[in-house]
Amino acid sequence: MLEAIKKGGIQVALSALFMGLGQLCQRQVGKGLTYLFLHISALWFFLRYGAVMLRGFITLGERRANPTLNIEGDNSVVMLIMGLFAIIVLIGYLLLYAANIKDAYNTQTLIAAGKKPLRFSAELKSLADKNFYRSALFLPILGVCVFSVIPIVFMILVAFTDFGGNTVPPELVSWTGMDSFFRILTLQQFAPTFFMILNWNVIWAVCATALNYFGGLGLALLLNKKCVKGKLIWRAFPILAFAIPGFINLLAFKFMFSYGGPLNQMIINAGYSPIGFLDLDAKWMARIIGLLINAWLAIPSSMLLAAGILSNMSKDFSEAAKIDGASAFQIFRAITLPFVLFATVPVLISQFIMNFNNFGIFFFLRGGLYIDGYFLASDTDLLINWLYNLTIDNNYYSIGAAVSVVIFIITSIISLTVYVLSPSYRQEDQFK
Amino acid sequence: MVKIISAITVHLLALILLLYWFGKPAQTAQEDFGFEPILTKFTGELEANVTLRVLENDTAIKQGFFEELLQAFNEEYAEYGIVAVDANMDQYLDLENDGPYGFGPDVLYQANDQIMKYTDGQHIQPLPIRELNCYPYLDENAWQAYTGTDGQIYGIPVNIQAPVLYYRKDLLPANWETEWDKNNNGIPDMIENWTDMYAYSMQIREESLGSRYGYMKSLWDVYFASGYLFSYGGYVFGDNGNDAQDIGFAAGESYKGLHVLRQLASIMNEDCIDDTITKIQYAKLASGEFFASMTTPDVYTLYINELVLSYQAEGLSAGEAMEAAYENLITAPVPYLPASGDLTDQNSETIPTIMMGGVNGYAISAYTKAPNAALAFADFATSYEMIKRRHELLGIVPARMDNASDAGGLTDIVNANLSEGNIYIMPSIRAVAQIWTPVGTLFADVVKDPFRSLAEQKFISDEQLIEGLLRASTQVYDAIWTLQ
Repeated sequence: MLEAIKKGGIQVALSALFMGLGQLCQRQVGKGLTYLFLHISALWFFLRYGAVMLRGFITLGERRANPTLNIEGDNSVVMLIMGLFAIIVLIGYLLLYAANIKDAYNTQTLIAAGKKPLRFSAELKSLADKNFYRSALFLPILGVCVFSVIPIVFMILVAFTDFGGNTVPPELVSWTGMDSFFRILTLQQFAPTFFMILNWNVIWAVCATALNYFGGLGLALLLNKKCVKGKLIWRAFPILAFAIPGFINLLAFKFMFSYGGPLNQMIINAGYSPIGFLDLDAKWMARIIGLLINAWLAIPSSMLLAAGILSNMSKDFSEAAKIDGASAFQIFRAITLPFVLFATVPVLISQFIMNFNNFGIFFFLRGGLYIDGYFLASDTDLLINWLYNLTIDNNYYSIGAAVSVVIFIITSIISLTVYVLSPSYRQEDQFK
Repeated sequence: MVKIISAITVHLLALILLLYWFGKPAQTAQEDFGFEPILTKFTGELEANVTLRVLENDTAIKQGFFEELLQAFNEEYAEYGIVAVDANMDQYLDLENDGPYGFGPDVLYQANDQIMKYTDGQHIQPLPIRELNCYPYLDENAWQAYTGTDGQIYGIPVNIQAPVLYYRKDLLPANWETEWDKNNNGIPDMIENWTDMYAYSMQIREESLGSRYGYMKSLWDVYFASGYLFSYGGYVFGDNGNDAQDIGFAAGESYKGLHVLRQLASIMNEDCIDDTITKIQYAKLASGEFFASMTTPDVYTLYINELVLSYQAEGLSAGEAMEAAYENLITAPVPYLPASGDLTDQNSETIPTIMMGGVNGYAISAYTKAPNAALAFADFATSYEMIKRRHELLGIVPARMDNASDAGGLTDIVNANLSEGNIYIMPSIRAVAQIWTPVGTLFADVVKDPFRSLAEQKFISDEQLIEGLLRASTQVYDAIWTLQ
């Protein structure tokens, strides 16, 4: 691009002024008209819609609606989304503009070198051949922008507004900069709860991931043993738990551990007082029950994964180690575990993130409690549960979005660090 | 190079100028939001050939009342081409998100707190209530449930939701007329006041060695349990439920109500700490393991169904079982409380129990294209005949006093309770959504106390009870205001 600006001639200048003019001057009619058409279309879009959308993105609305008086007004949330869409179109337009200048310069260079530039029809044909990756990726990239990028960026942008509480449409939302982030960290009630929950969240994610992973691996190793009879049946049982929707399992477990549930009935029948397994005094007991129930739900998938990987492991290493006198544990630690670990670190990281953001476990088992010392949260809530309390229950969307951004940053840092330090990244060739 | 940089600069400057020029709003002046023009939507001239989408509650749909209502209305207004249909939406409507995009109903039937939360964003229409035929037959307190902070009325009361006591007449002691009717008024003492209910429940439990209970209820449930606080001076929000700055759970002597809750827990078992009793109360009352419980009037048929099954299991025929069920299942107003707040104090004066309640009713969406037709539907649905039919089919307590008076019995008593201020209408402002978890957690904590070892008990003294109430009030305040 810089080269085009430095060395370009009048044709490039014409294309810089109005897309397609340079190409037309260089007798590339088809391409020139296409650029011209795209330029006019973009101008029409911006004049008709885009300009208003971009202004709306900046102001987030200037006129409050009142449906009872039939007064139509601005919807700040819609304006934020549409403004974001206009920005993406604007970025697309600028990329097209740069491509147009570069193309005019390339054509100028080819002509100067005495070569004949490709005809427009030939360039179009190349989209099905040499440049097929461009046509193949166009729709997926568009889809990713619309269905993935816009919602994520929207959520991030909400963190920089005062959207939530009483400020929901038809009230007008405003930009507030980093205010939501400062509030999380500086509000007297907020900061202690945030760090207490973050602390428990990290412990939970590490323990749950380790328990599920090693539980699944252990089960797979066990079922891999020749001495185990009826492997198909044993494999089917954990998969049943995996196949039943998680929230049904969780509601069943909640009933099982409730005061009127079967466990307490057995305890009462045995002559003892019932136990509040999940009630408000049950901090660590409820946490451990949560870990075990999560293991019940997640170990089957870990087992299937580990079983698949173990079936690909050559038995030569372990047999050689056996001949050399290695114990079963030594074989596991030095051969089996590194082999499985190498193949599953990315999955392990995704499981860690899923556990870090495991909303269902404590929502279904122990929702609806605010414990003393916590701000609108209980001592088993994870950040994602707290986020739910703040946003859905209390409508603090901007604070919720800010907490989401913080969760995203934390999980990204942990995941990247683990991945970069893992054998999957550092010793990529070892097991090939 | 200069030419190209100049061309790029011109191009980008032109683009920026165009964006700026065409991005300017056509009109930015704020409209006057005076309320006078609102009622002009209701001109009295029916919009012809329109379809009204009506959101009813699930029970009315299941029991066939809604179909009857639609049919009757459509026949009545056929000459105008007005057709009312089922909005076919989840009853947990989100009008503020659906309405602006044309997805909401025209007329909605919901509880007062659900309807009134839409007033902040002007999602529902203030109504010309004096034009409605039900206007003179509704109590001021019922209208109050739908009165916004601006003084406008946004809903038409249909039925009163308030807790009532359910008990088994055949489980009363054989000698109740001589031993349990001190004032000889023909009503058992345990049904009249909580002190005797406490004593009788204790007696049942001791005599059955813990296999049967007297009064049983999930006590953490804020809707049913906060009434004990209100009876001793507590309230939710100040200024008739409109001032969310003033949280009143700890006001007056509400700690006495918390003490009553703690004592009630001691005649039950640990099931009262969570929602176990709520799930099993119908079957347990039918099996005779519970003598009494408390819930809303609209679940009467659930109790009857369980009782019929129970009597049949004891050997009665279907007809006999049905007859016995209707004879023995009694609904009664909630018993009186001791002024001292001590359920063991037989000598205390008694005070009425003020229970939390609500008023369900009709409202009209501000997004309806046919406000006059929608008002005609609401007027029709709240007519004497339709409310009577709703009462017959659904067992509701009508808010219309003429209907209530004709129905008599408990219906009349509940209406009288509303008029006398013994039903605390759930506040109608949005902030009410923040009370349930903090106060529910406090109630669960307090009712667990009798089941803790003495060293671990947290709510023994009045000061500890007050401290708990203040803490819950602070949590409610924080939930509402910290991030506003």
